[in-house]
This record gives sequence, structure tokens and C-alpha cells, in this order.
Amino acid sequence: MNNSVTLQKPNRHKKNAVKLLILGVITVAAIVCYLLINSHPEKTKLFLYILGLRLPTLLCMVIASLSIGVATLIFQSIVNNRIVTPALLGMQSIYSFLHTAAVFVFGTGSILFVNQNVSFAVDLVLMGTVATFLYWYLFQKTGHNILYIMLIGTVLSSFFGSIQSAMVRVMDPNEYDALLSSLVADFNNVNGEIIIFSVAALAVLAIVLHKELKLLDVITMGRDQAINLGVDYDKAIRKLLFGVVLCMAVATATVGPVSFLGLIVANLSRQILKTYKHSHLIIGASLIGMIALIGGQLVSQHIFHFTVPVSTFVTIAGGVYFLYLLLRKKGAY
Amino acid sequence: MEYAEYYGIICPIQVYRIIFFNHTLASANCMEVFYIKKHLSTVILGSLLFVTAVISLFIGVLDLNIGALFSGDSEDLQIFLLSRLPRLLAILCTGIGMSVAGLIMQQLCMNKFVSPTTGATIQSAQFGIALAMVFFPTMGLFTRTIFAFIFAVAGTILFVFFVQRIKVKDTVLVPLIGIMFGNIIGGVTNFIAWQFEINQQLSTYFSGSFSLIIRGKYELVWLIVPLVIIAFIYSNHFNIVGMGQDFSKNLGVNYNLILILGLSIASVITASIVVIVGQISYIGLIVPNLVAIFKGDKIRGTLVDTALFGALFVLICDIIARSVIMPFEIPIEMVVGIIGSLVFIAMLFYKLKHGKKAVHFGKKKEVAANE
Amino acid sequence: MAANMNIVDLVKSYGSKTVVDEVSFEVPKGKVLSLIGPNGAGKSTVMGMISRLIAKDTGVIDFEGQDLSKWKSKELAKHLSILTQHNNIQMKLTVRELVAFGRFPYSGSRLTPEDNEMIDRAVAYMELEEFEDRYIDELSGGQRQRAYIAMVIAQDTDYILLDEPTNNLDIYHASNLMRIVRRLCDELGKTVILVLHEINYAAFYSDYICAFRDGKIAKFGAVSEVMTKECLKDIYNVDFEIINVHDKPLSVYY
Repeated sequence: MNNSVTLQKPNRHKKNAVKLLILGVITVAAIVCYLLINSHPEKTKLFLYILGLRLPTLLCMVIASLSIGVATLIFQSIVNNRIVTPALLGMQSIYSFLHTAAVFVFGTGSILFVNQNVSFAVDLVLMGTVATFLYWYLFQKTGHNILYIMLIGTVLSSFFGSIQSAMVRVMDPNEYDALLSSLVADFNNVNGEIIIFSVAALAVLAIVLHKELKLLDVITMGRDQAINLGVDYDKAIRKLLFGVVLCMAVATATVGPVSFLGLIVANLSRQILKTYKHSHLIIGASLIGMIALIGGQLVSQHIFHFTVPVSTFVTIAGGVYFLYLLLRKKGAY
Repeated sequence: MEYAEYYGIICPIQVYRIIFFNHTLASANCMEVFYIKKHLSTVILGSLLFVTAVISLFIGVLDLNIGALFSGDSEDLQIFLLSRLPRLLAILCTGIGMSVAGLIMQQLCMNKFVSPTTGATIQSAQFGIALAMVFFPTMGLFTRTIFAFIFAVAGTILFVFFVQRIKVKDTVLVPLIGIMFGNIIGGVTNFIAWQFEINQQLSTYFSGSFSLIIRGKYELVWLIVPLVIIAFIYSNHFNIVGMGQDFSKNLGVNYNLILILGLSIASVITASIVVIVGQISYIGLIVPNLVAIFKGDKIRGTLVDTALFGALFVLICDIIARSVIMPFEIPIEMVVGIIGSLVFIAMLFYKLKHGKKAVHFGKKKEVAANE
Repeated sequence: MAANMNIVDLVKSYGSKTVVDEVSFEVPKGKVLSLIGPNGAGKSTVMGMISRLIAKDTGVIDFEGQDLSKWKSKELAKHLSILTQHNNIQMKLTVRELVAFGRFPYSGSRLTPEDNEMIDRAVAYMELEEFEDRYIDELSGGQRQRAYIAMVIAQDTDYILLDEPTNNLDIYHASNLMRIVRRLCDELGKTVILVLHEINYAAFYSDYICAFRDGKIAKFGAVSEVMTKECLKDIYNVDFEIINVHDKPLSVYY
């Protein structure tokens, strides 16, 4: 009797360690491919130049996959629903809106916008307060009804999108140019200046949230169970929500909006690892995210020659995957 | 049913009476009041729309003089006929079309959150336009329109059948699936746009605006008029189909035929607006819901009001768009986006508060209607 | 015997509607107490408040000398456990892993040998050994309910609150569950509070009954005091007959 327990459990976790190792190897392979394909290693100068171009992009993609993986898994566990992604909540358009609003109010000449890192810090503070407050309010108001929150989120994203474009319309064209260059990041034009700051922000977040992250396994069981098991639920949710918001902000700032990546990586991670342990799931999701992004970038670079951005692939693949999830669990929602 | 409608509009009527006639409800003969009441909201909406429309005609960068217009000042008349009148008519058609399309879709799916925006119709039409631009770049508006029609109808029907197949339990999930559907189709459109380098062309073409409407280039939206009439004729059928397959069979209505007919009408209306005006979200979602709060869910009784209110809504948004930063113009889509999303969120909160699981706003009325 | 849970003037309103109106009672220690009453009488809301899942408006819930709201959530989880009817866990979790969560308030995610022993005991107590490596979403409703009870047993609290535990169970599983409740009290000395719809389960398996009507307590007392024709008629507004089975008063209504 006891045997089967001791046999089964480590087995499952051992298997997962192997799976994670394989994912890690694939990730490394993708990174090597990304850095070395067509990099002309025989011509040292050109090689270094190409590396100098590719490294920041690579780092940004790594940071983005990590933050998107973490954000999506935390969010799915908070709301106890696996077909949602924080990207659907309109966080990205809130981010763009706040950034535009800051430029609009202070002007690009302001000290806040001379340094990319400072400007990013301002964005993070704004985003952290405004979005956490907003979504917390929605959580309360709707009684944690995630479908309502998502529907409102999608509507909010068009709301903030509209206000943002209205502000842009009445903006000084020079300011607009400056805004655009700092706002619109995508995979071909990553925001390399803020890499170090992003890493620092994520590290601080990990320290601040380390207690709550340990509670995630229990929080996934739902509010009632979590409270029963002694979790200070509201406080934990607020802090975790704050983490989700900031992770999404970091991802948006470094590589631009990628709507469905989180949905894919979180669900694939759950499908592959078949565990409830968030420590494993988060690592898995991040690795899968890196493989998807770097692999996608390879395809975009060498097959489509940059004509089609990776985010387009991610949107299409993610959407189809979402519909597949719905079909597979027919009638469950 | 009549009882229901009586209750449905009692509030606005009361206000109206106090303001305009200054006498109370109880004093009038019940039946007489009832008859007036039944059509009063339509009359009020109609007259409000008329007044606003006239005002809108005279708002613009160039001042139009009424006297000059009637005395036959050719320049003023030219502006009037070339630009102002077509613009007004386009606005009216857009408002009527989008809100009726939304109403039809909501009735057929029995879901208050389905609309051309949340049912992938707009994105499908845009996809069709993109394809037409890529494969028949030399052909004009006509080809694009045909493509938009075909793809809008196909996309919407695909979406509705998909939703029916997965047997969604929570009504709010349906619009979310629709938004996802729209996102995927939009993603494919984007892909095509990038690949064939028509990105910029498309994004200007897609953004909703009335500023480019002039005579000779907008007449396609007239198609909405016969379509709305057909919708009115079949409105009872749509109601029945909305009740479900078994219900329809029992009443001898061909479920699939009517479903496809209704969705096609809604899609074609939407597509013709997308081709001419561009993307205008939310109207199809918000207007029918607001009207239903007051008038209940029977489509025959609400269709005209919905159409009028839709036209009024777009007209007011357009006036705001034109007058905020005169002499420039904010694209109407932004105004509708801002106002529309606020109203929509308010609506959601309203629904949350009144009737946790109720699908409909006018639940009470419906109970009465069944009696 | 001093009661360690004492409820005084509990009030809860939603908007203008008062769902629980100045409810006061003492929870008898080491006994089974059932809360009964018609739909909307406020019994589940009271249960929600004494399990801290629902915030109270006013009133005092004195638990071991301190108001419930002043307790540290983690500390309270070692003294009081609640099992609600909504348990839709969307995780791939085996029965044993679920039961192990009962030890979370004590050891977090790292289980000590002592914890493992408790888990073994709980699994054995609920006779779940043969299922313990099965995923809970593969179990039947009755088995799953037992797994949850095992978790609560592993949590090892003096007070166990169960909100409509017999819901969605067939007669066989429901009566089995009620027998387990009885054993929890008799063998392990737990204080059990239940919300029940089925009056006869309350009558047969509990020591005390607290009957609610319109947000107030209609009757509180030992089973035999509450289970009378007049009393039940007063609570449910339906005619009852009382018959005695195994010395317990059971009700018949039609």
C-alpha cells in the first residue's frame, strides 16, 4: 500500500525533471541556432556585429517568455480557469495608454523621458498602481466572475485604445514621433535599452512575491479551499495580481503585445508536465515560451525574411489553440 | 404580452408625460393611453432623430445658410448635396444597419452579447476585402463588396455553428469566443497584409470614418433599407428560431433555413457598412440592449425603435466627433469606442446586479409575456 | 461544558435585504449540530460567516476566546475546517495529493514524516487506499466527496464545518457520509456543524438542531425538542407526522 505511494510520486516528479531537461536542451539549441545561423563566423567583424544585433533581441525574448509564462500561470491559478490569459484583459492597451498619457502630460522633453530606463520605471509604477487597482475593483465588483472580468477587459482595451489614439491625434507631431519610437516595440525592433532594468524589476518582484508564489498550489483549489487551508486570500490575490500586471508590462515594454502566447505556453506546460506544482509549471511554461518565440523568430527571419512579424503567427496559432481547447472540453464552460 | 409592453415603457412615458403634458398616468383612460404609449417611444425617437439630423446638416467647417440654400445659392447647394446630405444618409444607414444587424444576431443566438463586433462578422468582411485587394487589385468597389459579403456571411455562420457545437453553458463565453474568432481572422488578414505589403492601405481603409463620404461613393449603404425591411417581415421567425431547434420544429419553422437567412442578412448589412464606412464597433451590441431594457425582447415591437435609436446614437457620436476639435475631426470610431465601451461596461454591471444568471435584461417582462 | 464557539447577534444584509438577522447561539462542543430550514432562511450564510468565507456585517463570533476575525488565517486553519459544496478543482491532482493539502497549514508544501503519517491515517479512515493514486477528476461523486472529507481529517481540526455535504450524492453515498460524520464526532471527538436539506439525516445523525426561518433562529435544541409536529410546521409551513425509528424521531411529509 505504502509502496505504491513512495513509488508513484517520485516517479512522476522524476519524469517531469527529465521533461524539463529536454525542454531546456531544445531551448539552448534554439538559442544557438538563432545566434549562429547565417552569422558568418569566418568574418570576425561581421560576426561580432551580427551578434551585437541578435543578442539584445534574444535577451528580450527570454525576458518576455519568462514574464508571460509567469503572468499567465499565476493568473490562471488565481481565477481557477485554464482558458484565460491576462493578455485578454486589455493590460497591454492600458500600458500603451498610460505611456501615451505620461508623454501627453509631461511632454517628451521632460526629464522623465530622456532616459529610457527612467521612463520605463515611471510606466511600471503607473501601471502597477492603476491596473492593480482597476482589476482588483473588477474582481470585487463581479464577485470573481472571470468571464465578466474578461469581457470587461476586452471592452476596456478598446476603450483605452480609443482614448490613446484620440490623444495621439491632438499631439504635437514631434512628440508623436518620439512617442512612437518608445512605444512600439516588436520582435524586429526590441527595446534593448531596458533589458537590465527589466531583469532587475523581475528579480525584485520575485523577492516580494516569494511567499505568495508558494501559496499558488493552494490558491488553485479555489477561494473556499484556500481560506480553509489558512491562506489570507484577498491579500494574496492582490499581491499576485500586482505581479501579473507588472510581468505583462515588462513583456509589453520589451517585445510589444503578444496576445496568445501565454495561453499556449501555460496549457502546453500543463499538458506536458501533468502536475499541479507551480514551481515545475512555471519553468516549463517559460521554456516553452522561449522555444516558441525564438523558433518563431527563426522562421520569420529565414523563411519569411522579416516580412511577417512573429506576433502574427502567435496570434493565429494561439487563437486556433484556444478554440481547440474549447472543443476538447465541450460543454465544460 | 401587451401587459408586458405596458410595463416595459412605463418609466420613460411617465417622465415624458410629466414634462410635456403635465398630467398623471392615472387620469387618462387606460386603453387610450396604452395605445399611444405603445407607439410613443417610436414617435419620440423619430422626432428626436429628425431634429438632430437637421442640426447635424448645418454643422461643418463651411457655414451653410438656410436662406441661401432655399434661394438657390448654387455653391451652398452643391456642398449640401455633394457632402452634407450623403454624409447624413450614410450615418443614418450605418446606425440603423448596425443596430438591426446586432438585434437579429442577438435574437437568433438568444444571447445578448452577440453582435457583428463580437461575432467575427466585421473581421470576416475585412478579411474578404483584403483578399479582394490582393487577388483583384485592379477591380473596384464592386469586387470588394462581393468578397466582403461572401466572407462575412461565411465567417458569421461558421462562428454560430461552432458555438452551438460546443454547447456553451455560460452566456458570457460566447462573445469571448467571438472575439477570439475575430482575432484569428484578423491575424490571418494581418498576415496577408504584411506578405503583400498592403498593410497601410488596409488600415486606412478599415478605420471607420464618415469624412470621406461624398455623393457617388456611398450609395451601396442603401442596400440596408431593403434588408431591414426583410428582417422586419421575418422578425417573428427570428424570435421563434431564437427559442431553439425543438421549439421551431414544433411551430413548423425551418430552423436552419431561418437561422442562415437571418445571419446572412445581418452579415450583409454589416459588410456593406464595413466596405463603405469602415469598422464601427459596439453599436450592434449596445443599442439593441438599451432598447430591450425598456421595450422587452419581442423583436417586432423593438425593431423600429432599435433602428431609430441606433441612427440617433451614431448621429450624436458624429456630431461630437466633428465639433470637439473643430476644424479637425476625430474619427467617429474613437468616439463610439469611448462612449460605447463605457455604456457596455455599465450594462454588464447592471446585468450582474439584476439577475445573476438571467440571460436577458427584461426577465420580468418575459415572464409576463409568456402568460 | 463551556462552549468554545459562541455566536452573538450575527447580522448580514445584501443591499436592503437582511439575510441573517440577529442570530445568536452556542455551538455545543464535541457534538454534531445541524443547521436546517427552508431555502433562503439564512443557514448557509450563517455557515459562511462562522467559517470566515463570508464577511459578517455586525455581531460577534467568539471562537476560543477571540473573535474569529482577529484570528490569523493560518492559525485558524489548524482549529477549524470548512468543506463547501463547490469544489471544482481544475488540476490534475491525485487523491493522496489532495489529502496532503490538508497538512498545508502545518507544514506548507514540505511534508514531514509526521504529516505523511496523518495523511495515511486519513486515507485509511475514509477507506480510500485503493484510489489514492487516482486523479480526483476520474472519481465518482461519492468517492470524490470522501476524498475531500479525508483532506479535512488530515487537517486535524477540532471543528469541522460541512456545507450541504449530501448534495449531489445518491442515498447510498449520502447515508454513508452521515455515518462518517457520526464517527468523526464519536471516535475522534470532533465538533461537527452541518448545513442539511434533508431533515431526517439531521434528526437521525446529529445531537442538536438549529432551525432557521426568514434569517432568524426558529428553534434551537436537542433533536427531540426540534423534531415535533408543531415545530416543523412552524418552520416549513407543511404538515408533518413524526414517527420513531430506532428511538430517533423521523419526520414524514407529503
